[in-house]
Amino acid sequence: MARAFRKTRRGIAGEFEQGELRLLRRLFADVVQLLEPEKRENEDPLAALVGLDPEATKPEDSAVIRLLPDAVRNDDDGALEFRRLTERSLREEKVSTLRAAALLLEHSQVLLNPDQAQVLARALNDVRLVLADRLEIKTDEDAARLHGISDLEDAEDLESYLALVYNFVTWVQEGLMQALLATVEVQE
Amino acid sequence: MTDVPWVVIVWNDPVNLMSYVTYVFQTYFGYSEAKARTLMLEVHEQGRSVVSTGSREQAEKDTMAMHSYGLWATFQTADA
Repeated sequence: MARAFRKTRRGIAGEFEQGELRLLRRLFADVVQLLEPEKRENEDPLAALVGLDPEATKPEDSAVIRLLPDAVRNDDDGALEFRRLTERSLREEKVSTLRAAALLLEHSQVLLNPDQAQVLARALNDVRLVLADRLEIKTDEDAARLHGISDLEDAEDLESYLALVYNFVTWVQEGLMQALLATVEVQE
Repeated sequence: MTDVPWVVIVWNDPVNLMSYVTYVFQTYFGYSEAKARTLMLEVHEQGRSVVSTGSREQAEKDTMAMHSYGLWATFQTADA
């Protein structure tokens, strides 16, 4: 069983089992797959280079919409225009963060500086957003309903297995945030 | 042209951890722990909070940054 992240004199330290590391890396890779921009034929390479995507449309997958939400409310045209200017960059940034996070979780003893901890926190957060979408967590009550599922023996079907994974990732992120907040306070 | 400022609003969701949201406000905006916590609680309890005010350019930049952290944010004019 993993040990929660904590602040130590050498940095933010955590400990994981190989299976837990594999699971987390797999989750990062899954979110990368959701986010990697599609290559289009006849794409303007210069536009792609500067992060523009004049043909972007609102994603269909609700989890992807949660990762790349509309930036303007009650104005579909305004939201789409902003999406075309920014979505590709946002996708690329998230993908590189998720990949970097996977590299931080290769060994059971994990030791992070604050920047690395932030990379991991962002990646864990995106994973939780996707899992929460699949679990249809829309309210605080929905989230509370799943809290009890913390043991593999509780996982009888896909939903309860996903809930177990969600609770594990939440637990990892919460420990990481407590350690990171303690580090930020010291720096101030 | 008017001088009405632009604002960035962060919306509540049941997924983002209170600790994470506080950390993002502290780290990205450079807010004190107290201010970051106040804004985070506003999001959590009132469903939304204005987290920054400024030019349209700044609002767009901040909104994109919030999305990169996984927070749900939108921008609009302050009088909208």
